[in-house]
Amino acid sequence: MKINKKIINKIEGEATLKIEGDKKIDFVQIEFWQYHGIEEYLKNKNYMDALVINPRVCGICGHSHLHATVKVIEKVFKAKISKKAQIFREVTSLLEIVENHIKWFYITIYPTQIKDKEYLFKAVKFSSKISKAIAILAGQFPHNSYMVPGGVTCDPTYMEIMRLKDLIKEIKEEYIKEIMDENLTSHDLERFFENLPKDIGKSLNKFLVLGESNIFKSNGDYKNVKEERNKSLSKNALYNNEYYEVGPLARMIINKNKNIKKIYDIYSDSIYTRMCARIYEPLLLLDYIEQKLSEVDLCEPSFLKPNVRNGKAIVAVEAPRGSLIHEISIKNEKIDYYNIVVPTQFNLASSTKENPSPAQAALMNEDIAYVDSVFRCFDICAVCMSH
Amino acid sequence: MRIFTMLSKLNVIWIDAVTCYGCTHSFLNYKEISSLFEKVNFEYHPLFLSNDLEIKQCDLLIVEGALKNNYPRLGYSLNELISKLFFKAKKVLALGTCAVYGGMFGEGLMYNKEQKGHYYKCRDKIINLPGCPPHPDWIAFVLDMISENKKIALDDLNRPKDIFAYTSHMGCTRNEYFEWKIDAENFGTKEGCLFYFQGCQGPFTHSSCNKVLWNEVSSKPRAGTPCFGCTEPNFPKNDLFKTDTFMGIPANIPLGVSKRAYLTLSGIAKSLNNERLSCKLINYKCGDNNEDK
Ligand code: SF4
Ligand code: SF4
Repeated sequence: MKINKKIINKIEGEATLKIEGDKKIDFVQIEFWQYHGIEEYLKNKNYMDALVINPRVCGICGHSHLHATVKVIEKVFKAKISKKAQIFREVTSLLEIVENHIKWFYITIYPTQIKDKEYLFKAVKFSSKISKAIAILAGQFPHNSYMVPGGVTCDPTYMEIMRLKDLIKEIKEEYIKEIMDENLTSHDLERFFENLPKDIGKSLNKFLVLGESNIFKSNGDYKNVKEERNKSLSKNALYNNEYYEVGPLARMIINKNKNIKKIYDIYSDSIYTRMCARIYEPLLLLDYIEQKLSEVDLCEPSFLKPNVRNGKAIVAVEAPRGSLIHEISIKNEKIDYYNIVVPTQFNLASSTKENPSPAQAALMNEDIAYVDSVFRCFDICAVCMSH
Repeated sequence: MRIFTMLSKLNVIWIDAVTCYGCTHSFLNYKEISSLFEKVNFEYHPLFLSNDLEIKQCDLLIVEGALKNNYPRLGYSLNELISKLFFKAKKVLALGTCAVYGGMFGEGLMYNKEQKGHYYKCRDKIINLPGCPPHPDWIAFVLDMISENKKIALDDLNRPKDIFAYTSHMGCTRNEYFEWKIDAENFGTKEGCLFYFQGCQGPFTHSSCNKVLWNEVSSKPRAGTPCFGCTEPNFPKNDLFKTDTFMGIPANIPLGVSKRAYLTLSGIAKSLNNERLSCKLINYKCGDNNEDK
């Protein structure tokens, strides 16, 4: 059978798709050939250096990598942090998710259907505000290292918290007005589907949430995750030897979100449901962030010095694209071993026709004309994949 | 030399070499991006809407990320792709610490860490904009200047002086603590300088992070995180949260002074024991409200 090779770029890097089938996609292999070697780079470095290096796994979701890094080190140290530090970390991490979803929608997937630069400007309008909100606590975005074992480095004043609250309120109001409202009405989303069927891109219908978080319930234990080499330079991630979809749709289904369930009942796990889940999630997160900020008690310490210990640990957090796992082994303050499993390794694994990964399953039997949109509806991060 | 015709927009090809895409995402925090788009045409960009890549002439080639052998990109090998585009471009912007010095991932265009790099000989054509990532305003500034055909004053590492004539120490809210040699022994305080105990490299890092604030509001040192010197050739050094010392004395001291002068001054400053700065600036009380307790 003829194999069509297609390089998909503008996904924080690139992937090569080897497509079998002429008009309809019979099967597709997904390959990533850009290896960065961060885990090797970390070896023998002081454990604190990981707080600076790991955000550089990815320029768009580096904060999630920071969060996972600090949590895995704290697990080794059995460190405690104040509620205040906990809230700050949660707020900035969730803001990163909001920002990622907006950029994914308008910059990554939107141009597959609508070629209009105005949408880039719209994304920038939001991203610059969200980054600013993160920077009030974290100093800058992207690439800060304000989470440290034992807490956070910042010590904001009431005035800063006030500015942050006002900014979140503004972002939320604009989100509801310009992107999607609480009833899931989204003019831009409907425009995207003007010439695209809503029920394409159905996948495995199996969902996984592993992150330890206050806002999302998990339905699995990250200790059951296994990595496997595929034919390219990336690794597949399997849970109990099976493929699962991770990410916003998984979070909504596992957490029984009523609004998304309604759409899911009609369209199942299709491109439309997946996109709705991702664009709807920021509304839930912004509500939660507002609530959390009202609980901040500035009398609490930002940082409690932990005891440095040797040992191993593994953690999972919920990153924009799904569950993110970091594993560390520390010996004499140095990193002995580091391993990272990113969400894209679950969603975009490259397996066989008989046992396809979520993205492979979503593409199979679809019209070749839809490849770009369906592939991107998983929100691929090639640079995380190539860590 | 005019590098483009006034009637047209600045034609830019932006290539993603070995990068984390932090530079692009930093740029996407530039609020006035739409006015920049009136002057600049992104013929190819690795994330946003643009034409398919063709190897052709352009006014400005932007390289984001490091060079590396055997690294595929867009159907070429990366280094081959860059060299094809490099010689067709009128000017080249090495964007971000990776493209300038190699950073974590490989080699830079003009430098390989502190050594001369592959394109050192072609340095007349290159503008270096280090930073991991570079600040959005810095990127916009360079693009705006080039599109207006204005000459950018460069330092001896080809970095724009408007940005790199400063140190990231300048404008830091902790400067008064630095002056009186009061150091923060722990994280999470408004008080104290981060130089001695937390590894801050602000006093000898060329960058305007505390002048042109990040995301309009803050910077790493303002948020209590040391400056990691991300605009310099040796970024990231080892032990980023520790100050390099030699027999207990900081190995690197503020730019422009002799070690001896610096040590004398610090000794005196320390002995003066500034009382106001030796205690908490604000003591929030739990459950603060208007009523007196
Ligand atoms: S914290 Fe760093 S940048 Fe700020 S005053 Fe101290 S040395 Fe300078
Ligand atoms: S403060 Fe230092 S480490 Fe931070 S961005 Fe500026 S130069 Fe880089």
